[in-house]
Amino acid sequence: MLFEQVNNKVVRAHVTAQSPVLARRGAMLGYSGAVAFRPVRGQGGGVGGFVGAAMSGESNPMMASEGDGAVLYGYKGLYVTVIDLDGSYPLTCEADRLLAHDANLQTSVQFVGSGGVRAAVRGAMTGQGLFTTLVHGRGPVALLSHGGAFPLQVTGQWPVGVDPQAYVGHTGNLSLDLKAKVGFRDLTGRGSGEAFTLQVTGQGTVYVQASEQKF
Amino acid sequence: MITLTADKRVLVAEINNDSLRAAQGSMVAFEGSVEFVGAKMGGGDGFRAALKRRVAGESLDLMEARGTGRVFFAEDALDVTVLDVGGSRLTLESDHILAVTPGLRLDVQFAGLRGMTSGQGLATTTVDGQGQIAVKSDGPIFGLEASPGQDVVVDPDAYVGSYGNLQMSMVSGVSWKSLVGEGTGEPFSLRFTGHGLVYVQSAER
Amino acid sequence: MAGPSVFTAQSLPDGDNVNPYVYSIGLAGEWFISKGAMLAYYGNIRFEAVSRYASVRDFVAAQFASPVYVQDWVVAEGQGKLVIGDRGFDLNAYDLDDGNLTIKASNLLAFDTRLALKQSIVPGFVVLIGTGRFIASSNGPVIFVEPPFRADPEALLGWADCPSPAVHHDAAWMAASFAGALQGALGRTSGEEKQYDFTGTGTVLMQSSEIARADPAVLRLIEDQTRLLTDAQAGSLGQQLMARVQQR
Repeated sequence: MLFEQVNNKVVRAHVTAQSPVLARRGAMLGYSGAVAFRPVRGQGGGVGGFVGAAMSGESNPMMASEGDGAVLYGYKGLYVTVIDLDGSYPLTCEADRLLAHDANLQTSVQFVGSGGVRAAVRGAMTGQGLFTTLVHGRGPVALLSHGGAFPLQVTGQWPVGVDPQAYVGHTGNLSLDLKAKVGFRDLTGRGSGEAFTLQVTGQGTVYVQASEQKF
Repeated sequence: MITLTADKRVLVAEINNDSLRAAQGSMVAFEGSVEFVGAKMGGGDGFRAALKRRVAGESLDLMEARGTGRVFFAEDALDVTVLDVGGSRLTLESDHILAVTPGLRLDVQFAGLRGMTSGQGLATTTVDGQGQIAVKSDGPIFGLEASPGQDVVVDPDAYVGSYGNLQMSMVSGVSWKSLVGEGTGEPFSLRFTGHGLVYVQSAER
Repeated sequence: MAGPSVFTAQSLPDGDNVNPYVYSIGLAGEWFISKGAMLAYYGNIRFEAVSRYASVRDFVAAQFASPVYVQDWVVAEGQGKLVIGDRGFDLNAYDLDDGNLTIKASNLLAFDTRLALKQSIVPGFVVLIGTGRFIASSNGPVIFVEPPFRADPEALLGWADCPSPAVHHDAAWMAASFAGALQGALGRTSGEEKQYDFTGTGTVLMQSSEIARADPAVLRLIEDQTRLLTDAQAGSLGQQLMARVQQR
């Protein structure tokens, strides 16, 4: 399975009988060859997989691209970052960041509220719900970001913080904890504007976008 | 000690036991022990600057990043450029300021006629001293040199700032008005004469 | 340390990109320019509405053969360097040699007056014909592909040297949508349901999809077509449009 980065906003996927692609609905820009598209409800468990998406709130309309051909994927001019998963760790991201992925990868929905109240607050804060998506297996994933995503290596040597609005996703053995800093200045409106920070600890890579805008 | 490096749409600031002023809420990530606090009165430029901004209806909300580490700043996927300041005075539209090193002073200058119709406030920000300023813009900025006999004419929405000994005037002839689309854009352009540099961004809105 | 690029009237490119998002036209005569595309200029340049330019040089204004789009364009006339941009999108120059190219109207920024412009049969697109240069924007760099190819209309930038596309409805997608009762979830038709189908030889130009910019010409096009309706049909359309506005 191959995702070819055509430019910073578009990827080309070579779809074959062995490797269909799951993508966000509306993200197909064009295609050549004999490719058929089929709406898939929710995500999880590969092609035809179904997780109670409506129940989890992490419902992102997806579709399967099957057959033999080359498909261009992109979405509303947003930047696209391709991450090749080697199977050692899953990728964690919000479902609406997923542009496309190898359908052989498994996705599952995780309730981040289980990490405690703080983690739950994080979902509420970023407006991304209390659920997050895990992508497991070996293969390519294309993620959407506003302005492009850059990887930040976390080694444990330094404390690392990320603005919750700018967080795109992460891989590795990391834990994220929302740190609230509400002081007098923040309440009076003369604060730093950085009242909440995701504190990242462990070892891995966190992806950050060049914007605090959600799309 | 502070080093600013622009990487397309991200500003990377290496801060070594120092403090950097930056646009409020513009931090996207950091490594190390860095603290973010609201900047003092007038964005750190004192009461007089604060009062002038209030009168001018101009807002410049800055915070301070203090400590030691590496901070990544970005806003709305805008492009970032680092300008060296020293010698001549730099004039900037306030909403293009992303970060300012400690050696620089920001003040407000009333721009008169131009400001009244541009919708960018009555005033513009002046930058004096020695240091670096990170500028955010829609697409990369580029400089156009003005010299006697070579005036630069700029769309107000594409104008970012200027450097040197320049006079600015508004041009609003029939010719310019015909160029402005229905209900969009400014009904005038800016003409710069003298010796200096005009910074322009890659988008008109 | 590397600051921004700096140019003078002389060093500014003469008919080339300043950066991927900005283009500099070396003006010596006349060009058609889309309103709002100008960022800056050096020299002695005048701008005149295309319709008014007819009284100056009729044969130049006549090259712009589209009443629907004419209000959004001006003629730039004079000597100097004219710098243009569009929302920070990528800009490209295209040279036609006795050829024709169809391009999305809202992405066309400027063209040399030797070229003629006509409305395409496909709504929202225009055709440039002749020999000369034009400048167009794209959301991300342009992707060139060859037919056979099916394109999402929202991501289609243009095409050259191939027949106009036919509309392809994906029957399987529509059936699956009905079967899965996904109509509500889909909300509106997506690119997977309806595509433009290109066949034959030629080149298709693609860009990343975008939230369409309100194109004033589209309103004029549709207004013009309502003349085809009977009074009863026009009344019914009016009610539907009112309902749509009230739902918002």
